[in-house]
Amino acid sequence: MSYTEYISLIIKIKRCFILILIIGGNRLFHFRAEIIYIIAAITGFIILFFNVFPIINTFYWTDSATLIETLLDKEVLTSIWLSIKCASITAIIAFLLGIPLAYYLARHEFRLKIFVESLIDIPMVIPHTVAGICLLTVLSPRSVIGRFLEQNHIETLGTEIGIIIAMLFVSMPLLIDAAKDAFKGVPPRIENVSRSLGANQVQTFFGITFVLSWRGILSGMIITWARAISEFGAVIILAYHPMIAPTLIYERFTTYGMKYAVPANIILIVISIIIFIVLRLVSLGGKEKYDSRAKIKY
Amino acid sequence: MIHVQKLNIKLGPFEIKNVNLEINKGEFLVILGPTAAGKSVVIESIAGLVPIRSGKIVINGKDVTHLKPEKRNISICYQDYNLFPHMKVRDNISYGLRFKKDKHHAKYSKNFKILIKLLELEGILDRLPLNLSGGEQQRVSLGRGLIGNPDVLLLDEPLSSLDPNIKETIQEGLKNIHQTMHTTIIMVTHDFTEANYLADKVALMHNGQIIQQGTIEDIFQKPKSIFTAQFTGLKNIFWIDIDEELKSFGLEQPAYIGIRPENIYIRNQPLNTYYQYYGKIESFRNNGIYMEIKLNAVGTRRNYISYLTLNRFFELKLEKNMPIYFGFNKKDLHVIEIESTQPDIHLPNDK
Repeated sequence: MSYTEYISLIIKIKRCFILILIIGGNRLFHFRAEIIYIIAAITGFIILFFNVFPIINTFYWTDSATLIETLLDKEVLTSIWLSIKCASITAIIAFLLGIPLAYYLARHEFRLKIFVESLIDIPMVIPHTVAGICLLTVLSPRSVIGRFLEQNHIETLGTEIGIIIAMLFVSMPLLIDAAKDAFKGVPPRIENVSRSLGANQVQTFFGITFVLSWRGILSGMIITWARAISEFGAVIILAYHPMIAPTLIYERFTTYGMKYAVPANIILIVISIIIFIVLRLVSLGGKEKYDSRAKIKY
Repeated sequence: MIHVQKLNIKLGPFEIKNVNLEINKGEFLVILGPTAAGKSVVIESIAGLVPIRSGKIVINGKDVTHLKPEKRNISICYQDYNLFPHMKVRDNISYGLRFKKDKHHAKYSKNFKILIKLLELEGILDRLPLNLSGGEQQRVSLGRGLIGNPDVLLLDEPLSSLDPNIKETIQEGLKNIHQTMHTTIIMVTHDFTEANYLADKVALMHNGQIIQQGTIEDIFQKPKSIFTAQFTGLKNIFWIDIDEELKSFGLEQPAYIGIRPENIYIRNQPLNTYYQYYGKIESFRNNGIYMEIKLNAVGTRRNYISYLTLNRFFELKLEKNMPIYFGFNKKDLHVIEIESTQPDIHLPNDK
């Protein structure tokens, strides 16, 4: 099937889909044919198409032989493994560092709270290459911290540590925000009850609060992980080598072109999506059962 | 025995000023007051959940003012139950025992059995809180609070979000528990009928201060402020300052008098009460259970509010603007000796 044939097929499917929406929308998607819902259905389709189609389309740019060849390519596998490993370590560090602060922010109001929250979110508004350069100024031997690290023989630039620092910088806010929301979902009064019954703060946190909010926190970790694995700009400035998958793909694309970039691309897409879906299912499963905010039916 | 001495709390713009409370062992104290009077803050401070500014809290001879909540041997139950949703009812109830040093002591298993029986929890022990009705959840919450023999059980509007019928059963359950287990209980509510049914002692709060405290009879029969009188259902409050009236009410100086609406009798012919008036029915309102009638006495410009049961109302065939006799007995007349002055008190009846 040629590319043009394929495109026309897609257009046909799309037309059918819109037809179904308009004719059978009521029953199929449980909405009434109100104007905004119809617009939502159409724009929704555009959004999903926009998100999914480029990814699926990538698969048509290669063939199975090259794909298998790439799968056996040690360099590709190493870089993908490095990406997954660094992103996972980042998510765990973000978790350990972020949880206490997120809990405090969820439970207390203070004068400079908005200021503190803005500081936490700052990395999200800085372009990633800019963030990378900011980090580089800190880690270079010309700064106090860089000198300290050098004296203690801790190499950051061009190592996994550098990659993790870059990933952590850009993804930490996501974890803190998600964990804060998760903690806010646990009513403070349920903690009060637990305290009054003899549990101290730590026992209450692990016995009640964390048990009731871990799904929200896990989903925050997944977002953090996803953000970390997709980071490129800040990482290449701190550590071009060892190569994480996005760096490798970028390098192959600039040196050899599409033919060599796409197979690695596909492998990274597949692995990322599988991990993402699995973790998402874990974090969503059984949500109803424990959701303390769920309305009680009489 | 619980002493709260000169408690002062400041939470943002809200203040608790000089609250003193004294509860004997085994007593049932109800802190009564309108919304945002600071009732909940007071019991949360007894539990150690709210930082206090100054004052002293002593429970059974032990100064707990600076102790953390888990060291105070109290327990608190809220209006919205706050059961642990990830634990079965059984585990919810016995949660507090996990942190007791003598958790395997026989007294706790005995408590468990008593509570299960008193609160009728047999059938739901293995269910998760999410599948329970509001009444069931509140019963579990009470059981959870009581199992560890707390020195005091603090209840924050425990009945406010329940259906009227369920409310009554839980009220009875609370009374049973109090009589069986002799637990000291402090309950917060805005409903004076609950206080009337449950309390040994009442403390009335308004704007972060205690206006009056004492036994139920004290509060209901001898209100010391207009606020107390109004809040405990004394609807007819009048300022008496004309000589003639002063004489007739046996007063020596101008004062407020009050008559509870349920103590005003209505007849078609003259009645034999001590005070009686001839007047007409201004209006009436059907409250479902009783009829609230607004009466106007001829010769005065005062409106009296009276309650009649619905069948009595229909028996008398009352209608709007109908001429009528009404009156009340001398023993039902309350003279309000004002001790604490309260601003913003309006007297809708006194024209």
